[in-house]
Amino acid sequence: MKLVTFALVGFQLAFVPVCVRPAVAQTSVSSAANTAAQQQDLQEIARVATAMIDGDVCQHIVTQRALEHMLHPNPRDEWQAGDNYDVHDAPFIETKKNLIRLATLAPYPVDVNLWMPVPTTQDIQVVIRNKYNLSQFWHGGLEQAMPPEMQEVLQSGKTLTLQKTPGMISVLAPVRNSLNEIVGLVEVVASTASPQHDEQ
Amino acid sequence: MRKFSASAWLLLLVFLGSCRASDLFVVSAYHRPDPFGSFVSSDLAGASWNHSIQLTSARGGYVSFQLVVKSDTACKDCGLTIESSQPADVYREWFHFNAPDKHYYPDALIPIQVPFSFQMPDPENAIQGQKVRAFWVDVWIAADTKPGVYHGRARLTDGSVRKTVPFTISVSAAQIPAHDALNIDSNSYGLGWLQEQYPKALAGSGRAKEDEQFQLIQQYYRMFYENRGIYHVLGYGHSGYVDPGFAPELAGAGKEKHIVSWDRFDRLFGPVLDGSAFNGTRRGPQSIPFMYMPINPEWPANYLWWAEPGYQAEFTNIVGEMERHFREKGWTNTQFEVFFNQKKRYKGFEWDGDEVRFPKDDAYFLVYHDLLMNALPKTTPVRFVMRADSSWTFPQQEKLLKNVIGLWCVGGTDLIWYLDRVPGMKQRGDTVWIYGGTPPVQDVSSSIASDPLRAWIFGVDGFVRWLAVSPGPHPFETLVNGGKETLAYSGERFGIEGPIPSIRLKLQRDTMQDLDLLEMESKQGSRDAIQTQVVHLFDDTTVAQWRHSPLPPPPGNPLDWTNADLDDVMKPYLAQFPTPQPDAWQRVHDFAVKQAGRTQ
Repeated sequence: MKLVTFALVGFQLAFVPVCVRPAVAQTSVSSAANTAAQQQDLQEIARVATAMIDGDVCQHIVTQRALEHMLHPNPRDEWQAGDNYDVHDAPFIETKKNLIRLATLAPYPVDVNLWMPVPTTQDIQVVIRNKYNLSQFWHGGLEQAMPPEMQEVLQSGKTLTLQKTPGMISVLAPVRNSLNEIVGLVEVVASTASPQHDEQ
Repeated sequence: MRKFSASAWLLLLVFLGSCRASDLFVVSAYHRPDPFGSFVSSDLAGASWNHSIQLTSARGGYVSFQLVVKSDTACKDCGLTIESSQPADVYREWFHFNAPDKHYYPDALIPIQVPFSFQMPDPENAIQGQKVRAFWVDVWIAADTKPGVYHGRARLTDGSVRKTVPFTISVSAAQIPAHDALNIDSNSYGLGWLQEQYPKALAGSGRAKEDEQFQLIQQYYRMFYENRGIYHVLGYGHSGYVDPGFAPELAGAGKEKHIVSWDRFDRLFGPVLDGSAFNGTRRGPQSIPFMYMPINPEWPANYLWWAEPGYQAEFTNIVGEMERHFREKGWTNTQFEVFFNQKKRYKGFEWDGDEVRFPKDDAYFLVYHDLLMNALPKTTPVRFVMRADSSWTFPQQEKLLKNVIGLWCVGGTDLIWYLDRVPGMKQRGDTVWIYGGTPPVQDVSSSIASDPLRAWIFGVDGFVRWLAVSPGPHPFETLVNGGKETLAYSGERFGIEGPIPSIRLKLQRDTMQDLDLLEMESKQGSRDAIQTQVVHLFDDTTVAQWRHSPLPPPPGNPLDWTNADLDDVMKPYLAQFPTPQPDAWQRVHDFAVKQAGRTQ
């Protein structure tokens, strides 16, 4: 194996050590069925996420070209926005790894998804999803109408805990950039049942 | 009022008896009836109601026809029997209401045993004004059948009325090869769809229903195999989650990561890899030729370690263990595909593995190829192969990823401009497939033959129907999209815990049998002449029309192309092909059997 081939990714991971004590007690899955305890776990992860996730980096994930295609649909090509969706590898990878690290703070399956508003629209898009396909909000689209709960987080900076979908708990928490602007949010989500399966 | 005499009463009874106007017809496989006494409009040309039929067949395959009962009056005690010197599989045809055009089409085939008792109209199909019930007959002509003419007959009983129709099968000396000339693939994704289609069998689901799920998947493999196709089921989603059973279970991390259990994987795939799942099929047991691996950016290595030493360690450890397990099991006849299906639009990963559009994404294939080569012993008999499904940038990918990708699955129309590359790809040992959809039920019956025929004329190794097990939520009430994502249905409604085939799958199988014969003949050195004759018989076209696009690909960078641009340049190509007649493939079949019988 020539590790040099990894250099093609063209970045050095800006590793952010998680120096905080694990915020989540190492409880078993069965005890996590206790909704209150699980909520507390997810809220803790969300709190750390707000502290850790770099909004400036997140703002560089989706390419300008991809956004242009999302904002200007082609009436002759319904797939245009999806076909041209693209991200900058380095900020995507850096952020996704941090989201994965955050998810490992719970001893059961948790996804930490990144959501960001689509500029100049009232829409929002999930920018990074994770392994277990967990979300109370994502329905498979490239972008979607802004749910009021997400709007509230983006406007107020509050953290919200939600159980809209039976069997699923989400905590929404803001992501800020260096100007202290809220530029996105994380959805820290776990299932009280088994992991959901993917749409293909 | 005058009283009727006894003889008048008798005459009336005879007359009323004859008014039970049930009749039995035998109809070509390519002319599908509708439930009201006619044929579906797309198959009308050349259709006729016959009281006998003469068929031709090679040996080692099936020959098909339909039995159609028409009755203007209700019948509660109709019966169907079939006498055949060769084994016959009989199915009743289900008429689906098709939402796109609001007409009924027969498609699902429910296996029955003859003698078979039935009613008209069919209370289960519940179609107002139904006057027709239809049955599909597959007669199996075993490889050791003596060439000659075989007679059979079908009989309808409706009260005292009896109708008999004979069928004759001329079996030629020609032998359909055991191995198909093309891989005609039915593709599917994960296990989630099983729950929708088998709510009773999988009620409760979870690990307690794992065996039932696994057996269902094996039955899909078996059904497609028996119908001269192959089957794929991808075990992971766009963000990398692997469904249970599609991968061995892992534990540990980094250099300690290892496989802790093969139990589920072996229970799911062992029988199709060693061929035992196909015991009892008429084609006999064989290992599946291809299979998706669960390998994706999140498995077996944790994405957290991407571009770090831990990623290589985890990947190498696990894939190395997989190779060893497959070798020890003797699973060396199957090509294990390392295939990346994810698209960045689903937000799981930063690169497209499927239908790469952005050239920068190709670099990931190089990385994974290095990882794979590093994980495998140089002399392994286990056949791992990197697969790429390619469309927008196929010509660029084919150059860059030469000797990296061993299995190419190229957009069916995208390859038209690059057919000159196919011989070179095959020469270096690559497998080349094209892919596309499935004709819906409202298309002419023979349209199911078009894509396999195109693959054969292109000189590639197969055709993939990208989704072939998804009939929609209530297909026996309404086909929401013409059934263009399925060739199979769930049999659960009919007490069958497994898939049932469709008419389109049977017609595709018959196409494949003939292509197998034609390929065998073509290898004798007359390929051009045979292909010329085949496309002439099919739709009065030429091989040149099939193999050449009047227009070049869109100008400029593929990254700037739209689907509309591609549609525009493809229009003149597609416009060359008239809608085939319903019996278009019947003509090819007759030619194939005659040609092969002459030379064998």
